[in-house]
Amino acid sequence: MTELLRTEAMSVVYGGLHAVNGLDLRVDEGRLVGLIGPNGAGKTSFIDGISGFTRTQGAIHFRGRRVDREPAHRRARLGLGRTWQSLELFEDLTVRENLQVGAERQTVGGFLLDLVRPGRQRDQTDVDWALDVLGIAHLADRLPTEISHGQRKLVGAGRTLAARPALICMDEPAAGLDTTESEQFGRRLRRIVDAGVSILLVDHDMGLVMGVCDEVYVIEFGTRIAHGTPAQVVADEKVRAAYLGTKAAS
Amino acid sequence: MTRPRTPSARLRTGVPALVVVALLAVILAKGDYRANFFSGGGFALGALVAAIALGVVVTYRGSGVVNLAGAAVAMYAAYVYADLRAHGDLFLPPLPNPLAPIEGLVHLAGDDSFAVPHWPTSVSFGTAMGFWPALVLALVFCALFGLVLHVAVFRPLRHAPVLAKVVASVGVLLFLQAVVVRRFSTTTQVVGPLPFVDKTQVDLGLFKITQEQLFVVCLVLVLAVALWALFGRSRFGLAVRAAAENEKGATVLGFSADRLAAATWVLSTVVTGLLGIFVASVNSAVDPNTMPALIVPAVTAALVGGFTSFGWTTLAAFGLGMQVSLVTFLGANESWFPKAGGLPVPGVDLLVPLVVIVAVLALRGQSLPTRGVLGPGRLPFSPSARPWALRYGGPGLAVVALIPGVFFLSPAMRDGLTNTLTGIVICLSIVVLTGFIGQISLAQTSFAGLSAYTVASLSTHHGWPFPLPILAGAAVAVVAGVLVALPALRVRGVHLAIATLAFAVAVDKVVFANSWINGGFDGATVTTPDLLRSQDTATHEFLGVTIGDGTQPNPLTLVFCLVVVVALGYLVANLRRSLTGRQMLAIRSNERAAAAAGVNVAAVKVLAFGVSAFIAGVGGAVIAYRTGNVTPDKFLYDKSLMFFAFAYLGGIASVTGAVTGGLLVGGGLGFTVLNQVFGLPDEFVLLLGGLGLVVTAVLNPEGVAGKARTDLLALRRRLRPPAPADPPTSTDSATMADSSTPAEPLIPADTATPTTGPTPTVPSAAPTPNAAPTPNAAPTPVASGSAAGSHVSGSAGATPAVAGEAR
Repeated sequence: MTELLRTEAMSVVYGGLHAVNGLDLRVDEGRLVGLIGPNGAGKTSFIDGISGFTRTQGAIHFRGRRVDREPAHRRARLGLGRTWQSLELFEDLTVRENLQVGAERQTVGGFLLDLVRPGRQRDQTDVDWALDVLGIAHLADRLPTEISHGQRKLVGAGRTLAARPALICMDEPAAGLDTTESEQFGRRLRRIVDAGVSILLVDHDMGLVMGVCDEVYVIEFGTRIAHGTPAQVVADEKVRAAYLGTKAAS
Repeated sequence: MTRPRTPSARLRTGVPALVVVALLAVILAKGDYRANFFSGGGFALGALVAAIALGVVVTYRGSGVVNLAGAAVAMYAAYVYADLRAHGDLFLPPLPNPLAPIEGLVHLAGDDSFAVPHWPTSVSFGTAMGFWPALVLALVFCALFGLVLHVAVFRPLRHAPVLAKVVASVGVLLFLQAVVVRRFSTTTQVVGPLPFVDKTQVDLGLFKITQEQLFVVCLVLVLAVALWALFGRSRFGLAVRAAAENEKGATVLGFSADRLAAATWVLSTVVTGLLGIFVASVNSAVDPNTMPALIVPAVTAALVGGFTSFGWTTLAAFGLGMQVSLVTFLGANESWFPKAGGLPVPGVDLLVPLVVIVAVLALRGQSLPTRGVLGPGRLPFSPSARPWALRYGGPGLAVVALIPGVFFLSPAMRDGLTNTLTGIVICLSIVVLTGFIGQISLAQTSFAGLSAYTVASLSTHHGWPFPLPILAGAAVAVVAGVLVALPALRVRGVHLAIATLAFAVAVDKVVFANSWINGGFDGATVTTPDLLRSQDTATHEFLGVTIGDGTQPNPLTLVFCLVVVVALGYLVANLRRSLTGRQMLAIRSNERAAAAAGVNVAAVKVLAFGVSAFIAGVGGAVIAYRTGNVTPDKFLYDKSLMFFAFAYLGGIASVTGAVTGGLLVGGGLGFTVLNQVFGLPDEFVLLLGGLGLVVTAVLNPEGVAGKARTDLLALRRRLRPPAPADPPTSTDSATMADSSTPAEPLIPADTATPTTGPTPTVPSAAPTPNAAPTPNAAPTPVASGSAAGSHVSGSAGATPAVAGEAR
């Protein structure tokens, strides 16, 4: 299997706090990899780290390149997409325009041409494809403020998908969904992977992660405590302790 | 706060500290430097800056507003006090008079002697008032003013975006200045001395200082300590800190967040007003311009103190106040001091705050906001121009402005129209920068002025023929714009507003007040082709039509301005419709998400600053050509504030908004009409502008054009029967699961190979019952609709129709 993303001893440090502490993780092409852990385990910090939104230590390799010093937008253009827990849609742009921002790349010549002929026909293939995959084509001309929360989630995913990434890191995409919705969502993820896009799924919905992922990493306090197929992970003593502990606390 | 420090954090505090210590060492080592740095005048100025800065910090901590009008409050208080001392009058701001239109109509009818009762312009307390009653009355006035600011302006804005708060405080600043100018004109007002101290020198060993200066300094230090104790050591301070975090926090402590904010507003206006009064007394004079400009060093000091620390703020304020006399001394005596045309460059003391701001922001700023840091907040919606608007808008505007402008309007109205046109250009530059990409620049007329002076120099001294200097001027503006963009890469929101304001104030002095550049007494002349020069009174024959009636201004100047406005209007409208425009709006609403979508945030920001400065630069060049000479007063920082105000009033996010802003702008068509038809005096321009700005920010954050648009949409929605089936609204349960169901069968594993094939996946092998192979052109609506039919009954029928309409 071809390696897509690999972190080596990656750490994220805020002040003296090690939010992520020397994490090794690998995502291969065509895989749906889960990353779970209790609240505050460093999941979002890990995604922020690999996508370039927070400073990291250690190495991050993506498609055979070392990317840990690249700025966020360049990592995105290399095919390392991400979604946001809080969606962070562009509220002033229509759904289609949201996806276009993800899909289109600007050049100097393109900018100058834009000033004269802004409405010229652009290649919409990727945008249309993403709208199709997520079933939100009928929302294309609406503003994010006019659609439901569930639909907004799809737009957030679509914006990332429209850039034709090789890997999407999803930050808690199933938050706020009930069990049935979450199952449907899981099938959708599987289709994206089957379409050739790998996914790193970060969530604390055990059902979803265990149900769809090929392999799962479990982290706690920024450190990996287990890795393997869902079955192996579920059987792991440390994982049970961590999760039962969380449940007892909440 | 004790937080472990990384090496880079240590470097970030260590290096600036070393620089400051080294500078102080040099100053202390040389007798001349020491005497000029630690001078009485420097201390007094430092005290005033410190008081304004303390007021800024207090309001920021209490209500999260960076009050750019803080220094204007000091000026206003000094005027109130001076008028009470001198004449026993408490002057009042002009109040709206409901009867005034009647008077205007009667005057129009020809009877100029008719007058309705008017509001009093002041309340008289007899003749000249003593020190204490005048002081107490002035401070009571300050307290009331602080309360009014809170209740009428900033409380309604407490959840508003940062931009609205900045705009409101700029409005207050313009309003206060305008009231003073209306009542006292721009001349300096004499202020009597303080009764209990005089000008005897006190020798403090290291330096000498007059009694009154020493008094003022001590007072500020006492105030700083008192504020520190109040905020750091009392329950009130704890509640303010709690309220800043979370309104409920204060409630838990038994305080009302609202009352706390009110208290901090009153506290800040009283502290600022008190020192305004005392320093004006020490200087024996007050004028409407000097003190309000001190907001720049004051805000710089507050920035050094992180808008929280009273100690650091006071120290920095004194430093920034005291360096002024030292820099003046250096300019006069040191050979290494930068010279322009044999004279020391003016305004270097204003570069110091700018350098400090840039340094502080560069050290503290983040190239992308961290989690939880908010941007400028929601800005007015930026509509993309409709095709019909693009097709007919430009020609329509041209015809509407051109025919009356050239043939029918009176000279005064023609002048007003031309002012409107140049105003539209500046407003367009603000639309790009603030409306599209959410960056606040208060330096747009600085860009225009730099361009105008370039045009003057190239056309007159280097003999460049007509259109070329416009491009050169715009190029100079672009360079300046890109320079200003550099701090913008790391800071946002109100911090950027502060940095650009400091830039504008510095450019005013360093460039525009520099006699080597501004042409000294004679001004800088622009060699204008006769056809374009506004003063030209010749008539011209074009195709048998006579243009011009032998009076100034030349109608062809108007045509020239109109051509530029239409061209730039199209440029901005096109920008909004383009990919670059989408990227700008993406950055405006969320920088982190834009970066994650692959947008190079830094590059697009620099580009936006460049485009905006280019437009402003063309505007400056047009203004230069139009009048044939360049004077600094058209480009000073207060003009930037004014244009920002009117652009926001008009509607900051669209070309229509810029046109509306141009109509409202001072000297523009709107005010010319008011002036010519209703006899409204010129001073009311700023007054109404300032007031209008505050009112707009509070009531109607989308601006006039934005409001018109939302009203129109609401009207259309009411007139149109409700759409039969609108999927997201018709199905209440249109959650992700529902809406995603229809497309589920669309991507069968075996056919979908998106990374290799660019075509959208067509469900040729889809296991849906009625998904017949659909044409490649529009597979989505049909397929998703028919697929939906088998799953969701409620929304299924509507889906294809809506999707089809969307295309």
